[in-house]
Amino acid sequence: MATLSSDLIWEITRNTSSNLVKRKTGGGYAFSRDPLNLTNKYNRRNEGLVNNKAIGIAPGQDGGVTLITKKNDKAHSPASHTHSSTFPNSRSTRKIYSSIIGSTANRNYRADLRKDAVARASALRKSQKPVKESKVSKPRGAKAKATEEST
Amino acid sequence: MSRPTVTIISGSGEASKDTLPVPNVFKSPIRPDIVHDVHTGMNKNRRQPYAVSEKAGHQTSAESWGTGRAVARIPRVSGGGTHRAGQAAFGNMCRSGRMFAPTKVWRRWHQKIPLNQKRFATASALAASSSAALLFARGHNISTVPEVPLVISSTAFADGAIAKTSAALALLKSIGASGDVERVKKSRKVRSGKGKLRGRRHRQRRGPLVVYNPDEDGKELVKAFRNLPGVETSSVYSLNLLQLAPGGHLGRFIIWTSSAFSALDKIYGSTTEPSALKKDYLLPSAQMKNTDLSKIINSSDIQKVLRQVKGGAVSKRGVVQKKNPLKNFQVQLRLNPYAAAFSKEKLGQKKLNEGKPERVGEKFETLLQEN
Repeated sequence: MATLSSDLIWEITRNTSSNLVKRKTGGGYAFSRDPLNLTNKYNRRNEGLVNNKAIGIAPGQDGGVTLITKKNDKAHSPASHTHSSTFPNSRSTRKIYSSIIGSTANRNYRADLRKDAVARASALRKSQKPVKESKVSKPRGAKAKATEEST
Repeated sequence: MSRPTVTIISGSGEASKDTLPVPNVFKSPIRPDIVHDVHTGMNKNRRQPYAVSEKAGHQTSAESWGTGRAVARIPRVSGGGTHRAGQAAFGNMCRSGRMFAPTKVWRRWHQKIPLNQKRFATASALAASSSAALLFARGHNISTVPEVPLVISSTAFADGAIAKTSAALALLKSIGASGDVERVKKSRKVRSGKGKLRGRRHRQRRGPLVVYNPDEDGKELVKAFRNLPGVETSSVYSLNLLQLAPGGHLGRFIIWTSSAFSALDKIYGSTTEPSALKKDYLLPSAQMKNTDLSKIINSSDIQKVLRQVKGGAVSKRGVVQKKNPLKNFQVQLRLNPYAAAFSKEKLGQKKLNEGKPERVGEKFETLLQEN
C-alpha cells in the first residue's frame, strides 16, 4: 500500500467529498466544510484534506484562537495527524499574527497560505469583540434643537 | 513511499508491537470510474420486476365517434345513463386511460458485469479504504481512530468474546470507532416520498464495516454487531462492492480482524502470483507508479531535459497609476531602452557641430578659375 499522492486524492474527491458544499443558493460556488481550509473555498490549494501540509484556524475557548497544522508524516493516523496550539484571548491580535506566521510560513510550512491565515485569524478576532454601540445622533443647529426640545 | 506494515490494535484499543505486512490488494490502482460503473450495475441486481396491469385502462368498449360531431376523435365510452358514457378512454392523456408506454415485467432488470471488472472494482475499493483522506472525504468520523487501515487483533474475537452487542459497542468505543456509529445514529431521518410505504421508512448514513474471517473469528460477532446502527459485517471471503463503496463512493471505513487482514493475500494474490481462491486471477497493476505530479515535474530527470524558460518572468501589472514617461525615467526606460545610452552619452546636451562652417573664401575663387 502506497501513501496516495495529493494529486490522486484531489482527482478522486474533487467531485464527491463530504466537505464539498455546492448549492444553488450559493450561486453554484463550491465551498468547503474542512476545518483545515482557511478560506472555506473548495479548491486544490485550500483544501486541507487533500494537501499533506495544511493550516486551520479556529476560534479557541474564551475568545482565543487555535492554530491547527497537519503533520506531514501522520497521514495514516487520524487520531494524531494534526497539531494544535491555542493563543489566549489576552494575546494581542498582532502578536497572534506573527506567531501564526512564525510557526508556519517562516518555517517553510505552506508559505502560500500566509495571507489567508492572517486574514482568518483577523476575522475571528474581530468577530469575538463586542459590537460597538452606534452613537446617538446629536441635534445640530437651532431648528433641530428646537424640535428636539418640543418633543 | 510505501508503508509495508500495519500495527495490530488490541481489543482494548492499545497499539501492540505486532505488525502485519500490508496485503498486495491495497496497492491496486484506485479507479473511481470503474468502481462507479460496477456499482451502478451491481446495484440493479437486487431489483424485483414490477409492471402495471396488462389490462389497465383498456377495460372498456370505447370506440371513436369519428368526425362530424365536433368532438375529438379519441375513443369514447359507449352507452348512456352514467357519467362515464361519452368520456374519452384508452389514451394516455385521458382520465382512467392507460399510461404512456405501460411498464412491462420483461424490462432488463439485471446487469451482467464482467467478472474481471467486478474484481477490479473490489480491489480498487479495498485500496481506497486504506487512505484516511478518502475516508474523511466519504464522511466517516474517524478522527479518534489510531490507524488506517484499522486492524484489530483476532484474540479480541476469540471464543465468541464478542457475542453481545454491549461487548461489540465497548470494542468500538475502545478503538475509537464509536464516533462513526454516533454519526449514523444522529443521521437517521424519515425518508421522503413513497419509499416510506415500501419498507424503506428511514434513511441513515453507513458506519464501519467489520470484516472478519469466519474460520478463525467465528460468526458470533455478526449477531453482536447487527443491532448497531450503520455497522455492517462481512466475511473476508465474500466482500461485496455495495458495502465497500456504498453509493459508488470510495473510502468505506473498514475494521479488519487480524486474521481477515492476513487472509487477503491468499484471496487476492498479487500482480504476479495468481490468487489461491480465484482461478487464474492476477491483481491489476497501476499505470503510474508515482502519482505525485509535482514531484515528477520537479524531479531532476524531467527538469534537465526541459528547455530554458523563454522571456523570463513577466508579472502582469494590475490597476496602477499611469506614470509620465517624460518625467519618470524608469518608466521611460521601459518604453525606450535606448534612453539609457542616450542620457549616459549626454547626447541631448551635445552640440550638433562645433563652430561655424569654414568659409571657402578665396580658395573657391581659384578653384572656379582653374576650370
